[in-house]
Amino acid sequence: MQFALPPRRNVNAPLYGRSSRLSLQRRKQLKAVAILGFALVAIYFLLSQLFYSSTGTPTAPAGTSSLVIVTVLDRARWSADYIQKITKNREEYAKQHGYTNFFANISDYETTLESAPRSWGVVPAVRHAMAAHPYSKHFFYLDAHALIMNPSKSLESHLLEKSRLDSLMLKDVPVVPPDSIIKTFSHLQPQDVDLILSTDGESLSSGSFVIKQGEFAQTFLDIWFDPLYRSYNFAKAETHALDHILQWHPTILARLALVSQRTINAYSKDSSGAGVDGNYKDGDLVIRFFGCDTDTKRNCEKEMEPYYRLWSKRLKND
Amino acid sequence: MNLLPDTPVNSKSPPMSLSRSPSPHPAGGGWSSPGLTTGSGSSTPHSGFLSPNPLGPSGISWAAAKAKSDEVRGYPSFSTRNNGFFSRSKRRISATLPSFRVSSRSPNGYIDKDDFGRGRPFSSGGGWRSCGFGRTMLRRRRLRLLITLILVVVGYLYFWTSFLERYRRSSFGGGSKFVIILESNVEGGVMELKGAREWAVERNSIRNKQEYARQWGYELEVVNTLAKKRYSHEWRESWEKVDIIRETMRKYPHAEWFWWVDLNTWIVESSYSLQDHIFNRLGEISYRDINVYNPLNISHPPTGAYLDDVSRSPVGDGDPSSIQMVLSQDCSGFSLGSFFMRRSVWSERLLDIWWDPVMYEQKHMEWEHKEQDALEYLYTNEPWIRSHVGFLPQRYINSYPPGACGDGGDPDIHFVEGAGDFMVNLAGCSFGRDCWSELWEYRRITQEMNRPWRERVEDKATGLYEKFFGRQDNTPQS
Repeated sequence: MQFALPPRRNVNAPLYGRSSRLSLQRRKQLKAVAILGFALVAIYFLLSQLFYSSTGTPTAPAGTSSLVIVTVLDRARWSADYIQKITKNREEYAKQHGYTNFFANISDYETTLESAPRSWGVVPAVRHAMAAHPYSKHFFYLDAHALIMNPSKSLESHLLEKSRLDSLMLKDVPVVPPDSIIKTFSHLQPQDVDLILSTDGESLSSGSFVIKQGEFAQTFLDIWFDPLYRSYNFAKAETHALDHILQWHPTILARLALVSQRTINAYSKDSSGAGVDGNYKDGDLVIRFFGCDTDTKRNCEKEMEPYYRLWSKRLKND
Repeated sequence: MNLLPDTPVNSKSPPMSLSRSPSPHPAGGGWSSPGLTTGSGSSTPHSGFLSPNPLGPSGISWAAAKAKSDEVRGYPSFSTRNNGFFSRSKRRISATLPSFRVSSRSPNGYIDKDDFGRGRPFSSGGGWRSCGFGRTMLRRRRLRLLITLILVVVGYLYFWTSFLERYRRSSFGGGSKFVIILESNVEGGVMELKGAREWAVERNSIRNKQEYARQWGYELEVVNTLAKKRYSHEWRESWEKVDIIRETMRKYPHAEWFWWVDLNTWIVESSYSLQDHIFNRLGEISYRDINVYNPLNISHPPTGAYLDDVSRSPVGDGDPSSIQMVLSQDCSGFSLGSFFMRRSVWSERLLDIWWDPVMYEQKHMEWEHKEQDALEYLYTNEPWIRSHVGFLPQRYINSYPPGACGDGGDPDIHFVEGAGDFMVNLAGCSFGRDCWSELWEYRRITQEMNRPWRERVEDKATGLYEKFFGRQDNTPQS
């Protein structure tokens, strides 16, 4: 039917003329529509960005401290006086720098631990602290048989600040002393660090470490706490499990910063097994009475007493 | 809109020659007949378009021969054959029909002749008649419109598929976000003798995935799981899977989802894209609370008071975007014959922890299914894994044939013909069952389902005809 119409060219000429006239009239209208459309798109984009950022990162409620100190206490076996000294030491430090303390009871985890040594309690305790303080960033686990001797040092300036950590990190050294073939990564950057550990003379030390809240922490702690590790009869329980994990699993090792022992983990002179230059010297952040609870010849309370007195004298002077 | 004026022209042609929509190309006598019939279309050579094929019906044996030689040349170099753009497009250009026809016809040497014997009653005679019709059309002024129409139709038939595939492969289409990892050459024939049937299974299965990957623009990585010496230690055998996934992730740095597929599988519904079938609606179809279907009786969610809220929630954080691994469960637990892993820090860590000497030393007698048992163990005992695993009802990605998990008929497990099952996994077919005959059966079902619409209409018409006039046994051959 359409083929019966006159040739196209005749139809086209007037069409063109009309359309050009129209565009002249409509130019302003089109411009307005274009500007309006652009504005709408821009507003939508801005709003979506705004809402995205507000929902994307949960903001911490006011008063959340950035760092939590985790200590596991055995209220059933230790004297109240000893426990009071331990808590007071940590609370004073927390007060000075605005940290929070998390005192866990080993009895809470006994059903979970089943027949595994109680020293495994450190792992659920740190996970527990993270669940209780979901907005805090760093968690400093310190063994109960230890004192913070230099409370004026904040953990940020002493350890966590990027430049400070960068200078403290030991790169390309054996993970497990003295001669593990697995070495810490030489190209590690401080912003990639989620876990800060130190070694003593024999192995990685699970008595004092800093871990950053996040997916890595959950992964690492869950792996560490795996029932098959707990039932394996590692000679040094959770400490050897830690050695094992870091030597066999590079995704964990990639997040580890190893620091020298005295940075967070100085041993008292009575403790055996300190690494090279690992014994406490005046001015170190912490002192640990490593092994005082397992060695029957030693007594933790007695060993701690002189250092506790020294610490409280300093506290009064400040 | 432009095409509207042409309709009268088109509607005039059918009484003249064919009931289909042929295009009376002046020189295309040979092309117009076999090019549009279903049998030869898939393997019509490029030159068939330009010059009439003098062989006529005997071109069929040529197609079969070509298909055979394709296999011979194709198999050893399957990973490199689609390299050049031109060689890729040439194949596509020559394929007028949707790609699954290729898979359904050519990969197997056993049946080509039988299949063609099935006989579509079209001869090459119609082509010459339409040529005469075209000559009369030449005299008219509508020629230009007609040629445009022809070009559009030809362009559609010849280039649309290749255009679509190129689009899907591009960054807009999103196809390159998916990598299919297909296990092949299982144990390299070291443990068992590899006979003709094993080779046939392998060839067909690989071809099936190649076609699927090409159609949707996915990457296909056919991996050689021959029994390497480094895995031959009793504690390490079959851990190759983990290493392979890691290597593949490294090889395709821009892909997001990696789909592990066992060799003894068959994609039935190649018309499903992974995006539409699974990932665009992952939140709706997957379940994270394993209590929905829990053959292993894993207590869920974890109850430790020291765990955070997300770990203790039965559904993790409930956001589908946090699912990093998608798998299905069969009657006895996790099934790793077909599962997806997303590239993420999480999956890197899982692949790292999956094999651990201390765990395996204690369990290697118990963990008969090796990495599958290990994953079940890790899922049960380490909460960080649970909150990122999503399960799909089995038949979405992993239907079983009768013989696996019972003798069939379980609507949660077994393949149902015509119900739209995506893929069938012939789990355990090498233990007392016949992999090749099972694969053959699902291949037949696929062919049946993926007939082009012309054949469907024809079959329906034949069915109706037979219903009314009784069955006629002598189908015309040419």
